[in-house]
Amino acid sequence: MKQAVVVQDLNILYGKLPILRNVTFSVTEGEYFIIIGPNGSGKTTLVKVISGFLKPHSGSVEIMGRPLVAITRRSLAHAVALVPQSPPMDVPFTVAEVVLMGRSPHLGLLSLEGREDMEIAEQSMRFTNVSHLARSRLDQLSAGERQRVLIARAVCQRAGIIVLDEPTASLDVAHQLHIMDLMEKLRTEQGITVIMVSHDLNLAAMYAGRILLLNHGNIAGIGAARDVIQAGLLEATYGCSLLVDQNPFREVPRVTPAPGEFAQPDSLHRKVFLKQD
Amino acid sequence: MRIASLVSRIFLVCTPLALILVIAAVLGLFLGTTYQSIADVLSAIVTKGRVDSTLATIVWRIRMPRVVLAILTGASLSLGGLVLQALLRNPLAEPYILGISGGSAVGAIAGMLLGFSQLQGVAFFSFAGSMAALLLILAITSGGMVMKKDSLILAGVMVNAFCGSIIIFLISLTQDRRVLNILFWLMGDLSMSSQTQVMVLAVLLIPCTVIIFLFAQPMNLLLMGEEMAGNMGLNVRRTSLVLLMTSSLMVSLTVCCTGLLGFVGLVTPHLLRLLLGPDHRVLVPACIFGGGAYLVFCDLLARILPAQGEMPVGVITAMIGAPLFMFLLWRSKR
Amino acid sequence: MPENPQSIIALAPNITELIYTLGEEHRLAGVAQQSDYPVAAKSLPTIGAYIHPDIEKIVALKPDLCIAINDGNPRDIITRLESLGIPVYVINPLDLDGIMRSLLEIGKLLGAGRKAELAADGMRARIERVRLFAARTTSRPKVLFQIGNNPLVSVGSGTFAHELIIAAGGENISSGSAAYPRLTREQVLVLQPDVIIITSMTKGENFDRARTEWNQWPSLPAVSNGRVYVVDSDLFDRPSVRLVDALELLVRIIHPELFHTD
Repeated sequence: MKQAVVVQDLNILYGKLPILRNVTFSVTEGEYFIIIGPNGSGKTTLVKVISGFLKPHSGSVEIMGRPLVAITRRSLAHAVALVPQSPPMDVPFTVAEVVLMGRSPHLGLLSLEGREDMEIAEQSMRFTNVSHLARSRLDQLSAGERQRVLIARAVCQRAGIIVLDEPTASLDVAHQLHIMDLMEKLRTEQGITVIMVSHDLNLAAMYAGRILLLNHGNIAGIGAARDVIQAGLLEATYGCSLLVDQNPFREVPRVTPAPGEFAQPDSLHRKVFLKQD
Repeated sequence: MRIASLVSRIFLVCTPLALILVIAAVLGLFLGTTYQSIADVLSAIVTKGRVDSTLATIVWRIRMPRVVLAILTGASLSLGGLVLQALLRNPLAEPYILGISGGSAVGAIAGMLLGFSQLQGVAFFSFAGSMAALLLILAITSGGMVMKKDSLILAGVMVNAFCGSIIIFLISLTQDRRVLNILFWLMGDLSMSSQTQVMVLAVLLIPCTVIIFLFAQPMNLLLMGEEMAGNMGLNVRRTSLVLLMTSSLMVSLTVCCTGLLGFVGLVTPHLLRLLLGPDHRVLVPACIFGGGAYLVFCDLLARILPAQGEMPVGVITAMIGAPLFMFLLWRSKR
Repeated sequence: MPENPQSIIALAPNITELIYTLGEEHRLAGVAQQSDYPVAAKSLPTIGAYIHPDIEKIVALKPDLCIAINDGNPRDIITRLESLGIPVYVINPLDLDGIMRSLLEIGKLLGAGRKAELAADGMRARIERVRLFAARTTSRPKVLFQIGNNPLVSVGSGTFAHELIIAAGGENISSGSAAYPRLTREQVLVLQPDVIIITSMTKGENFDRARTEWNQWPSLPAVSNGRVYVVDSDLFDRPSVRLVDALELLVRIIHPELFHTD
């Protein structure tokens, strides 16, 4: 199995402040790879490196076997498609125009789309079910619809790797599930590698092939859900009380945050845990 | 859902605009501050001046360069406004915003006060002034992987304001009739155009226009945000620089021939965007034809409307452009 | 330059006046817009303002000669006309002598050399007469020659008005290198002018208002002695023969004591 992304000793600094420290991991082709961690742990930064937006201060990144520094931006666009957390506020384009932009890396000098490009765009819109919105402007859509349009655009780019930065952050639960399902569909039907940053531990547990847990720029844990979603590890990382049990739908862990109104959270937490055992 | 092919859309848009441009240019040749009958002008065009030399001189060496200059200026200013509105993602951006109006005016006035005439020295000084202002702004605000839009706009506004005070100071020093020459330059003036000057300008502007057309899709991508644009294969920093330098070059070149013609660069891109949508691959050719036609028409009106003398073109571009834009804006909101 | 130009365009109003002085107005094909003296000149075809002439109108009139003035006409108009094959002669009168020289130059161009000499001699004689009058007294009243009200603008050395004031036996209180210096009323109060002459570079401005404003400052000798006058600006500003009319008016204003027998 080929490695889609290989990250080796990656260091990123913001000025003098280290954001990612000696991060090393790899993502296999066709994996559903979810990155989780507290705010400020460096998740978004990591995604920006993989999508080519940030250059590493030290360390190396390989995309589909080629080092990032040796890939032109255009070639990278053929390999990695990005779904950012939110697009700029004032995009004047219609849905069809936005999705069609995904074809840009494949167009010639004059950037004129052909018949084939149109068909790919239409296909992509059907895939995420936004065809009926083709003529609507992006800023007239709801958050869920907007997210599906951005995904359609990324699909239209026909890249082997799709990177998503917290795609479900502002969506309702139904839309969250729908997005996760769409990614799974892409993965199984087209073999696309999905690398996603998520804040939702349970969705990550339910869908991920492997999870990467970041904490202050370091890797706190990497592996299958049952190996990473563990109470001790998560509490140490997030710094709050959590209960980890079995998800009733799948054989994966389920995380429930412990409410903090009680006077002695520590002692109560221990009592609850003892009861479970 | 069928999306109309881009090529057919461009043709659909450009053909009527080009037609309007041709009509405007023809009218500009036929009409002017002196009355020449249609038959006479036609004969001058057909025989290329072998019949009546005065008429030929008027049509070919006075009106023609003026019409061509209006087309070139209208196209350049509209493109300049379009590019800056995309780069800076600000609807108020206009071609002079990055120090070009201030720098070129200071240069031009200095040239005039030093005794140069338009063709010999003022044009050069004005070009040097605008380029100097732009480079200063770039030097101050550059750094990092992407250009900070807000810093650019702020720096541009500061430089223009500072130059504005220098301009007023220079005007106050001028206590002779050159003040009026300065004022004409500041208002924008299409009358100081010879055939050679216009030809040189055309030769310099055409490659710039081609470059901007090739960068039309990148302009679209830039509107999606720098991160997404980069992910779709764009070198954002290089693209921004190329677009910025090319459009500034175009605008500076036209300013040194015509002075500071206002309003065209701000309103034509908006007008065309309201009518034709935001795709820059359509807007770039539309700005070339539409911007050129608009200025030719306005210049024509400026020449033939007043009973005595001619009005400054800038008055007409504003008096027509502003209400037209407001009407289209109101229509589009319904 | 053509031998006997029959179709001349005067690119400034003072040039129109000079041509009329020489009696050669039949050669005029077109004049600058503000050519309003003599009255007959108003009916001639115009070619736009002298600061922004309309090149199309000029060419349409098929001139064989254009006469321009260095201080006023834009330099480019001269280059463009010449590049279109139209000869342009540029006069540059900077003072009274300069006007007489220009008169002679134009006279030579138009084959009216004799008439020009007569006119110039006439001018010289009148100027000399005024100088003799002024020489009869040693008093040199302080004159404020005001050409703008808000802001208060006066005339400095290098302007025609200044030269006239001196020739008429006055002292220009704002003589200095600046051609059109701006003064504050305080400065005027300190300088204590004996005569205030108000004119305007823009037509139609209400300068009676300026005069009533001065009346609020009775500490000025000019005001307390009722020596505040309003004059026609064209008379004092155009480099033409009428400048001598202005001189004659000025000496009467500055030295009325020399004329009580008239």
